[in-house]
Amino acid sequence: MDIEQAKSQKPKTKNHSERRIGEVIKASSAEFAAQCYKLDEAPPLGCLVKTEGKPGEIYGVVYDVETQSLEPGRRVVARGEKLDSKDEVFAANPQLSRLLSTDFKVMVVGEVEGKSRHYYLPPTPAAIHSFVYVCQPEEVRGFTESLDFLSLLINAKILVPVDEVIASCLRNASLTHPDSNAFLVKAGKELARMLSNDINRLNSVLKRLR
Amino acid sequence: MSLDLSKIIGQIVNLAANLKQKEAQRRSKIRHAVDALASAAADINALKQKVESSKTTWLVAGPKESIDLRQPAKECSTDYIAVASDGSHIDVDRHQSAHCFLINIGIAELQYGFNPGAELLSVPKLYFRDDEVVIMSADGRIVPIEGQLLGIKRSIEECRMLVDRLERPESSLPIIMLLDGSLILWSLAEQIYPDFVVNELLVNGFLKHLDKIRRFGPRPLLALASYISFPRSTEVINLLRLATCPHQQVDCDQYCSGKFSTRECDRVGGILDRELFTYLLAPGERSAVFTSRSSVVTRHYEANEINFFYVRLDREVARIEIPLWVAENEKLLELTHSAILDQCRRGLGYPVALSEAHEQAVVNVGDRQQFWNLVGQVLGEDGISMSSSAKSESKRARWI
Repeated sequence: MDIEQAKSQKPKTKNHSERRIGEVIKASSAEFAAQCYKLDEAPPLGCLVKTEGKPGEIYGVVYDVETQSLEPGRRVVARGEKLDSKDEVFAANPQLSRLLSTDFKVMVVGEVEGKSRHYYLPPTPAAIHSFVYVCQPEEVRGFTESLDFLSLLINAKILVPVDEVIASCLRNASLTHPDSNAFLVKAGKELARMLSNDINRLNSVLKRLR
Repeated sequence: MSLDLSKIIGQIVNLAANLKQKEAQRRSKIRHAVDALASAAADINALKQKVESSKTTWLVAGPKESIDLRQPAKECSTDYIAVASDGSHIDVDRHQSAHCFLINIGIAELQYGFNPGAELLSVPKLYFRDDEVVIMSADGRIVPIEGQLLGIKRSIEECRMLVDRLERPESSLPIIMLLDGSLILWSLAEQIYPDFVVNELLVNGFLKHLDKIRRFGPRPLLALASYISFPRSTEVINLLRLATCPHQQVDCDQYCSGKFSTRECDRVGGILDRELFTYLLAPGERSAVFTSRSSVVTRHYEANEINFFYVRLDREVARIEIPLWVAENEKLLELTHSAILDQCRRGLGYPVALSEAHEQAVVNVGDRQQFWNLVGQVLGEDGISMSSSAKSESKRARWI
């Protein structure tokens, strides 16, 4: 394929409003990893994303984003000492965009089948190469009307500080609700109930909601 | 039992002492070679005549430009395309009953300037049909493609893949096409293969591909070159040996048969071309262009006659081989020189396009094992039993 042709080919999306950002490259019942189509264009920490599942769509929260060499044995080296910007480094070394990859990891927080929302793990994990979409504001609003998904997040065992992910997720979600503050207050109360035996942790999360 | 390094260390110390001892002699030879180069360059026509009339036992570079030339590079175009091809292979395994080999060609196409981009790909091909794994003469003689011959076959495929890259939407940008290693298929010069093998691989293979690339130039500006890192060739030094020979008509067998180390030419003989040019050239400069007088080139290459020059990079002197049509076109020669320097600068000392093509092509030990496992698995699923030799099984099991 010619370079120009390759450039003109953009990922196809189901409709214009959906933003397809990558596809699943590793999956288990509780989480999946996805590779971005474009370097450094991962959804932000705490973003709600979705992918195809059976029978519905699997919803998850982005908890880790990583950009690294596609080949484990090849280390990325500094190249910009005599250049003025990161963009110049990529222009001078066009192969880099083909040798690096931005991946993100997602904690599964539920499944949506038609109008039914289930805040528990789906029966089967996402299939490899399933497309991953950033949820639209109305989807985020609909999914976070119930805060039952928080129990899956709170109990997650991940390397990234999970409270940071919870706080990011709630801050992002609050922007899709008509009354952001009311949503955050409601979320804070739910967290207080769930973390009633761990006041330090509760305070830490609540501070991050401001 | 693995190699016992403790038994080797003393020998390595001796090796280092031996190299140190030779260093003074090497430096003396380089000084003589530099002097010889300067005096031979003073009368290039006389040198050319001496080369033509000589009968030497070693391969001599053919002078074209003034042989002491130190040519700085022109500024490299900011917009150009570098296309490199490199390959690796899995040879026929005589311990396996499935007779096949695999060639994996890696391609890197890098575009610089206003519209930068990159394409990296690999094209693996399995050869197994009767007419693919042997070369057959018209009268039914058969030579199997394996070992050294498979290496040649791979070089041809690397070149063919460059031809395939020409069938792309036309671009007005200058293009440098790069291959790794020599454009001279040296092993075909050794006369160990029958003529029909040379015809099939060289005349109807490699040279046809070179011709296709040649016919694409010079519109758009398209150059082809091969890059030899850390070259061991001595053709220019041999030219200086010839220049310093006191006999006007050089004839080694007639004048110097049985003589070693005491000949006039031994004052410069014994060092490599790259050692001379490391001393002579400043970073970025190229040497004069020379012609290869290898028998395989003079006999078969014709319009693609191989020329070469040396170029001084930050970390080494590399040998660049180019076909005649690049050497004799000033713009293509400049493009080759400047683009190779630019590629090495971007590639931290080695042309980045070649480096990426290699990365696409490389087949490591694990890949080889997986390949043979996959062959065994697929054949097994089809009900074909794939026996392997007892020796192969023994190496795998490593029992005590």
